[in-house]
Amino acid sequence: MEPLLRLVNVKKSFGEVQAIEHVNLEIYRNSVIGLVGGNGAGKTTLLRLMSGVYRPTEGSVVLENNRPVAEMRSVLGVVPESTGLYSKLTAWENIRYHSRIHGIDDQLSWNRTFRFAQLLEIDASLHRYTEGFSRGMKQKTALLRALAHGPQILLLDEPTGGLDVTSARTVRRLVSKLKEEGGTIVYSTHHLAEAQQVCDRIIIVHNGFIQADGTPEELLKLTKTDTLEEAYVALTKEKARPRMEEAEKPSRISTFWRRLFTPSSSMEVREDE
Amino acid sequence: MSSRKRIVTVAKKEIIEFIRDWRTIVALVVIPLLLFPILFIAFPIVMQSEAAELDEKFVDILIQSDDVENLLVQDIENQSAVVSIEAMPTNLTTLSDPSNSTEQLRSMEYDAILRIELRNETWYYAVLHLSTSEQSNEARSRLLEVLIDWETNLTSQRIESAGLDVDTTLNPVRWDGTISDADVATKGEQAGMLLSLFIPFVLAIWTASAAVQPSIDMTVGERERGTLESLLSLPLSRSELLLGKWLAVVSITAVGVTLQITGLLFGIAYLASDFIDVPSLSFASVLLLVMAVGLYGTMVVALYLALAMRSRSVKEAGSVLTPITLAMIVPILLTQFINLDDVEMFWFCIPFVNVLLGLRELLLNRIVIEHVIVWMFVSSLVCIATIRYAAKQFHREDIITTKS
Repeated sequence: MEPLLRLVNVKKSFGEVQAIEHVNLEIYRNSVIGLVGGNGAGKTTLLRLMSGVYRPTEGSVVLENNRPVAEMRSVLGVVPESTGLYSKLTAWENIRYHSRIHGIDDQLSWNRTFRFAQLLEIDASLHRYTEGFSRGMKQKTALLRALAHGPQILLLDEPTGGLDVTSARTVRRLVSKLKEEGGTIVYSTHHLAEAQQVCDRIIIVHNGFIQADGTPEELLKLTKTDTLEEAYVALTKEKARPRMEEAEKPSRISTFWRRLFTPSSSMEVREDE
Repeated sequence: MSSRKRIVTVAKKEIIEFIRDWRTIVALVVIPLLLFPILFIAFPIVMQSEAAELDEKFVDILIQSDDVENLLVQDIENQSAVVSIEAMPTNLTTLSDPSNSTEQLRSMEYDAILRIELRNETWYYAVLHLSTSEQSNEARSRLLEVLIDWETNLTSQRIESAGLDVDTTLNPVRWDGTISDADVATKGEQAGMLLSLFIPFVLAIWTASAAVQPSIDMTVGERERGTLESLLSLPLSRSELLLGKWLAVVSITAVGVTLQITGLLFGIAYLASDFIDVPSLSFASVLLLVMAVGLYGTMVVALYLALAMRSRSVKEAGSVLTPITLAMIVPILLTQFINLDDVEMFWFCIPFVNVLLGLRELLLNRIVIEHVIVWMFVSSLVCIATIRYAAKQFHREDIITTKS
C-alpha cells in the first residue's frame, strides 16, 4: 500500500540550529498517528514540514504519487496550536474564509461545517464573533475550519492543550469518529495517556530525532517496560534542548544595544554571610 | 480556484475585518471627509470672532512727549484707547531705546508707549510694545494706523500750502484698471497653482499615514495574534498572500485619500468659493494624477508591508514606520521650493520626489511628456523593487512563523 504522506530523509535547520535530523516517516490512510514529545522536541516543526509551511533543508515531504506537499495543500486540514482565528469575524466567517481559499462552494462548506458543529456541540455559536470564545470553543472552531473542505489528512497540533475535560473529550471523540469514517490524522500531544487512547501508532520525537515509531504495544515491547510513561522515559534519556523555532537570533546592533542597558548580573556568594 | 480569486478573497477578508472596528471608520471615513469642510467653516469663524473681540477691547496707551498735539491724542482716544501722557524721558539715545519703559510694558501696565517729538518741522516718533502679547500688538497697530492718517493729513496740508495739487503730487504713477484683470491665467489655473503647493502635501502625508496601521495589523499583527500560520498552510502562495494584503491596504488608503480630496474640493466649491476656485484640469491631467497617486501608494504600501513583516512585534513595526512617515515630509517640502518653469530633469529621476513634482505639474494642467515618461518609468521601477522586497520578506519562513 502506498503511503499517503512521506517524509524522506528530512532535515530542517534554522541558521546553525538543527531542528529536525534525518527523519523518515510514512503515513498511511485511515490511521491516527500520535506525535509525542516534550517542549522543543520538534513536533511542531515536523507538523509545519508536513503542512508545507516549512520547506525542508534537506530531503522531501511528498504526498501520493510523489506530489510535493507545498503544491497540494488542498488535501490538508491544519489546526495549529494557536488556533489562528480572526476575532472580528464570526466562527462561520472564519471557516468560510479558509474554504473559499480552498475553492470550496459556500453551501457545501456550510453543510460539512454544520454536521461537524453538531458533533462538537457548537452549532448554535457559528454566527457569533470568535472574540468572546473560550479556548475550547476556539479549538472546536479551528477544527471545523480544518474539516470544512474535506481534507484527506488532518494535522492537529496539541488539539486538547488548555481545554477542560469535557471539551478535550469532545475533540477526542471527533477524532475517533473521523478515523471510523476513513480519515487520516496526525495528532501532536504531550500526553501519553491521550496518545494511547486516540492513536493507533505513536511516534516519539526527542531533540529533533524520531526515537521510536510503533503501536503502543510495540513501544512497550521495545523498551521492555510496563507503561507508556516508562517507555517514554527510557527513550528520551538525553537532556531536552530549548525550543528551536524561538531561538531567533537578534541582530548585532540589537545585541550591542541591549548589552548597553543590561546591568551586570554577576553576583557572588559570600562565605562569611 | 484562480490566483486572482484567492487574492481578492484575502483582500476582502482583510477589509471586512478592518472596517468592523468603529474607530477605523472614524479614522478612515469621518475624519478625512470632514477635516477640510470643518477647517473651512471653523477657521473664518474663529478668526472673525477673535478679531471682533480684539477690536472691542480697550487698550492702555502711554504717550511720552513734551509737545504732542491735542488732535493726535483725540484721534488715538477714538481708537478705543485709554491714553495717559507724561513727559519725554531724558538721556535717551534714540526714541526707540526702551530704557526705563521696559518694565511698564512687561508688567502690562500699558499695552504700548508712543514717544513723539518735533525737531525742526519734522515729527520723530517710536512705538514701544511687547511683540509676544496680542493686546500689545493690537495697541501698536492702532497707534500706527492713527499716525499714518495723521501723517497723510499733515502731508496734504503742507502740499496745499505750497500751492500744489495733493492727488497728483502724492500719486504721480498709477495702475489703470483692476490688477487681477491683467492676469491671463484663468481662475481655475490660479486655483491649480495654489493647490499644487497644497494637494501633493495632503496626498503624500495622508497616503503615508493612512497606510501605517493596516500594514502593521495585516502583517506583524497577524503574526502576533498567531493567525498567520493557519493561513500559510492553505493552498495560497505567499506572493498571493502579499498581493491580497497589498490590495486591501491600497483600497483602504485610496478610500481615505479620495474622501479627503472630496472634502477639500467640497470645501473649496461651497465654503471658500469667495477666495479660491476649483482647479480646471483636462481629462488627461486627471488620469495622470490618478496614476501618479497610484504609483506613490504602491511604493509606500509595499515598503510598509515589507518593513512591518520584517519586524518582530507590532511595537517594533510602529517604531520603524512612524519615523519613516515623518521622513516623507522631506521630499514633500523639497518639491515645494522647486521652480517648475525651469525644473531640471534629474528631479524626475528621484523616487518619491518625482511623483510629487509630477503631481504639482499636473495640478497646473501642464503635461510635459518627457517629464511624465521619466517619473512614470522611474516610479514603476521603484514599485517593482519595493514589491520584490516585500515578497522577499513574505517568503522568509523564519520571520513568518516566529511569534514574538
